[in-house]
Amino acid sequence: MSSEETNSILSLNSIEVLYDSVLLAIKGVSLEVPNGGMVALLGSNGAGKSTTLKAISGLLKSERGRVSRGEIRFDGKIIGDVPPQDRVHMGICHVIEGRRVFEHLTPDENLEAAAPVSMSRQKINDEKARIYEYFPRLAERKASQSGYLSGGEQQMLAIGRALMTQPRLLMLDEPSLGLAPFLVAEIFGILQKINREQGVSILLVEQNALAALEIVSHGYLIENGRVVMHDTAEALKANSDIQEFYLGGGEGKNFHDIKHYRRRKRWLS
Amino acid sequence: MFYRQSGVRHNSYSSDRDLFPIPADRYALWFFLALGIAAPWLIDGLYLNSYMLPWLLWTAAALGLNLLTGWAGQMHLGYAAVMAVGAYSTVHAVRFGIPWEFALLIGGLSSSVIGSLFAVAALRVKGLYLAITTLAMQFVMDWVLNHSPAISGGSHASLQSPTFALLGQDITSDAGLYYVALGWCVLVTIFLLNMRRTGLGRALVAVREKDFAAAILGVNSFYYKIIAFATSSFIAGVTGAILVATFYFLASPEQFSVNVSIQVLAMVIVGGLASIIGSYFGAALILLMPGIVNGLFAGFADMVGLQFGPETLAHIPNAAYGALIVIFLMVEPMGLGKIYGNIRDYLLVWPFDQMKK
Amino acid sequence: MDWVFLAELTVNGAITGLSYSLFAIGLVLIYKSSSVPNLAQGGLTMLGAYVVLAFSYELGWPLWVAIPLAAVIMFFVGLGIERVALRRLAGRPIVMILMMTLGIDIFLRGTTLAIWGGAPRPMGLGVSYDPFFVGPLLLSRIHIVGALVAIALFVAFMLFFRSRQGIRLRAISDDYMASWSVGISVERGVGLSWALASVVAVATGVIWGEIQGVDQTLSLLLLKGLTVAVLGGLDSIVGAIVAGILLGIVENVGSGYLDQMVGGGSRDLVVAAVLILTVMLRPHGLFGRHDIERI
Repeated sequence: MSSEETNSILSLNSIEVLYDSVLLAIKGVSLEVPNGGMVALLGSNGAGKSTTLKAISGLLKSERGRVSRGEIRFDGKIIGDVPPQDRVHMGICHVIEGRRVFEHLTPDENLEAAAPVSMSRQKINDEKARIYEYFPRLAERKASQSGYLSGGEQQMLAIGRALMTQPRLLMLDEPSLGLAPFLVAEIFGILQKINREQGVSILLVEQNALAALEIVSHGYLIENGRVVMHDTAEALKANSDIQEFYLGGGEGKNFHDIKHYRRRKRWLS
Repeated sequence: MFYRQSGVRHNSYSSDRDLFPIPADRYALWFFLALGIAAPWLIDGLYLNSYMLPWLLWTAAALGLNLLTGWAGQMHLGYAAVMAVGAYSTVHAVRFGIPWEFALLIGGLSSSVIGSLFAVAALRVKGLYLAITTLAMQFVMDWVLNHSPAISGGSHASLQSPTFALLGQDITSDAGLYYVALGWCVLVTIFLLNMRRTGLGRALVAVREKDFAAAILGVNSFYYKIIAFATSSFIAGVTGAILVATFYFLASPEQFSVNVSIQVLAMVIVGGLASIIGSYFGAALILLMPGIVNGLFAGFADMVGLQFGPETLAHIPNAAYGALIVIFLMVEPMGLGKIYGNIRDYLLVWPFDQMKK
Repeated sequence: MDWVFLAELTVNGAITGLSYSLFAIGLVLIYKSSSVPNLAQGGLTMLGAYVVLAFSYELGWPLWVAIPLAAVIMFFVGLGIERVALRRLAGRPIVMILMMTLGIDIFLRGTTLAIWGGAPRPMGLGVSYDPFFVGPLLLSRIHIVGALVAIALFVAFMLFFRSRQGIRLRAISDDYMASWSVGISVERGVGLSWALASVVAVATGVIWGEIQGVDQTLSLLLLKGLTVAVLGGLDSIVGAIVAGILLGIVENVGSGYLDQMVGGGSRDLVVAAVLILTVMLRPHGLFGRHDIERI
């Protein structure tokens, strides 16, 4: 365990999140992201995936939520009291759900807005060029208004914008949301490439477990605010429960079977 | 201890829909109403007519604006202009020979009509833009009042109000005028209390929260916005008329200037959006505050032996009034009504409040 | 029709209008970065003018010291207003934010008058009141100075919004959450916009103080400034300039002819009418951005 800890860039130790001082949204989530690794956080709607990411990036603050228990370590340091913008400077970047690009700015300006204040002009241009290499579609449309980009392009811009902050850990909240399967494949391919070439660790939150498990090495399954399963991607893909509930596998269900599965799922959490 | 929900058992739907299910609330209400009726015997005539009467009338005005801003969620920065319409039409009607009862109705209705013009703006824009438009309409109204001697009453721009009379009876005594104000304020309060639990009230809240969504649910937001403006303007008009008839005795444009609009809005906000009791508190605080601050400041100046010029003393209440609004929005944006609610909630569980934790 | 009269009204209107733009730029700066309509800009303008006077008139310092010093002080006043009052209200209903800025306005006006009194004072900028003829047209020198200052500020802010800090401010106005997520300090950005608007208020206060004297009527510029800002499209600096010129012309020409009919004082009426018409017909103004809704 200890050797794993030193090797992980992010570790959550049984954290709890309270909204408005009353609503317990996640209750004891622990997870590790190895340095340079790719990890997926899977789960259904309202399981607490987005809340987990917001706890890590510090964006909970703006939604009147707070981490009420447990500790979050980034690079071995506890970051509970660090304001969100300083976490970004430390190297955590959160691509929030719903591809919220700066709609009235051009893609080029979107990238510049995200560049750290201390970054030199030369470096900004280099970084932009690098990002346009990953996303050639963005380069084509870099002078048009971002609000009018297509959904896929906006998602690419959101990822590119996050890369501008020089992250060491990139967290993505449902990048596949509302995108056509071929676009999902394209974006996930690029994520894999970024992970390999830049050494950026990636924490991916997904409902599309099938696509996510293809590219990550490990996966966590979260349900009702708790981590209920943790394994390598291969093992998860092979797990029958996962297949039934998240991968849409299992042919020819009948009523009796469904009841059976329900029972097993409850036992899980 | 005595303020309890326990022991209140509803045996019928109508009791379940009681306005005040908690007995203590009802007793308090009757107590304060009795106090209000007995006020002329309890309070000196001077205080009665220079504090109690304007307080009740401004409360009625604040309630009218609260209906629009608090419940229906429509901004209005030209409320005083609507009050002016009611005041001037009523006074002119009376001078024309129409009895006060009908003149007040005419005033209210003409306010409704003009107020619905404001609503036309509300149908096109909302939020900030509505606020700006109503502000501009206020300026237009100011201008019209100031520049049409036929309305505002000649060169001095002031219009003498005839003696107030109801049912053929002239009302001139302090107590009589006070009762008129009390009656109107109670009437408006009862209307709003009941409106909350009708379909109209719920529809207004739906329109406030999200008018598109309300429309999808079958609430005709168009219709309800107009209703809200018309009703609130009616209250404004009658209040404005009674204010002139029982308090100012003289209608002049600056009584209904943009500052007055802001003042009524301040009463609503300081009192709390969509809070009826809050409007009473808000009106009291905004009206009484200048006097209190002046007294405090003069006392303070005496104490430390400082001399302040008359200019300074004249403007300190204004600064304090602004500061009051700012501080309220910082500390308790939901206003005095919310503070009252918090105290009530606390009393509901006192002395067992530790149970909550 | 008297063509010289019309031309004079038009040109003077355009120049006066640019002085309104000065005020409107302050509104636009704040709206552009935080979508807060700053109804306290009138109070800020008044305070700015009085602070300049406090140095130049009461301490006897030259204006070229007093004005920059006042600008620095107002910069921090603006920062302070955002920090103390506005920051807590983020995300509250617009009615509360409007009321907050109105409250600040009342507070600033009351405090300013309580300290310095309400008697009008001259700014003493030293711009000559001698008639200034361009061909047959009689122009006002101080209004020309105001127009030049407005244009200078316009250029400065156009450049600013293309700079990296400016882009960040625009990003903040688009999406607070997304700005936080990429490490932009939203609070600092909004504070900066208030600070800059307060500096603009000093410029407005000096120019208008010279035009009409320094007293509480300075805060009444709000109606005109607001009209210019809305007509230009609340978040557009270009709009503030163009709309200022337009409003100045419409107001001057309109009231020039209307005054003869109603016997004076129709300026405010024309301005209010322009404001109402703008909101009714084109709420986003001439250059304002439309919110993009993708479903």
